[in-house]
Amino acid sequence: MKVCIACGMPMKEVAEYAGGDTSKDYCIYCARPDGSMQSFEEKKAGMIDFIVRTQGFDEKAAAQLAESNMKKLPAWKECFE
Amino acid sequence: MSSKRQLQKESTRKKIIETAYLVYSEQGFNATTATIAKEAGLSHGAIFVHFPSLDELMTCLIEEFGATLTLELHSLVETNKSMEELLRIYLEVLIKHEKFYSRLITERSRLPEEVRMTLANLQSLIAHHFNNVIEREIDKQTVKKIPVHMIFNTWMGLTHYYLLNKDLFSPDTPVLERYREDIISTFLELIKR
Ligand SMILES: [Zn+2]
Repeated sequence: MKVCIACGMPMKEVAEYAGGDTSKDYCIYCARPDGSMQSFEEKKAGMIDFIVRTQGFDEKAAAQLAESNMKKLPAWKECFE
Repeated sequence: MSSKRQLQKESTRKKIIETAYLVYSEQGFNATTATIAKEAGLSHGAIFVHFPSLDELMTCLIEEFGATLTLELHSLVETNKSMEELLRIYLEVLIKHEKFYSRLITERSRLPEEVRMTLANLQSLIAHHFNNVIEREIDKQTVKKIPVHMIFNTWMGLTHYYLLNKDLFSPDTPVLERYREDIISTFLELIKR
């Protein structure tokens, strides 16, 4: 089982891979409609929206949280150098 | 380095993390690295060979705890689980780690920022599972149309209240296990349509 390089989600089922393609290293939630992986800014904005919607946190706190999460993920390593 | 030494190094590291988990569960995060070393049967210096600072040890520990929880939750939460099944799974996983989780939430403000962030990320992940199930149940009109974050926060508030006041609710036995049925059935009654 692989873990998505862009959000850290374990990918257990084929349907959880981007485009249902198990050779991909990122998940369905981190893919654009055309199947390519989202950019850093796209992913960050998506994470902030998601945190605000599902947990109701303050937007600034949500941004901090999203960044701290992304810092640990292989897909975004160079964005923090 | 020979692979045998590498393996031994790995197993010592694992031992330190496992011991830290137990010591912090029992004594809280004020426990010293000297105590952890003693309980693990290691010299005090050995800990710092593996973890140069206390912050580093704590961060690794919480990250591994988070990874364990993530995996336990993710493997149990299959698609198409009902709200009740999700609540049961969530409490089941939490009951397994009750002491440690309680320490995390009661002592949160005193933990290093990195550790607090890791804990918050863990809670986002739980919110993610809740969101999937709540949205489906709202669509099916089995759950009231309440904003997802308020359903989630109400649930977290309820479970954390019992954990934070364990001395009053259940001084001698694990609190979540004791009140599991009350908590689940009441919460479902509140949100069900
Ligand atoms: Zn992903």
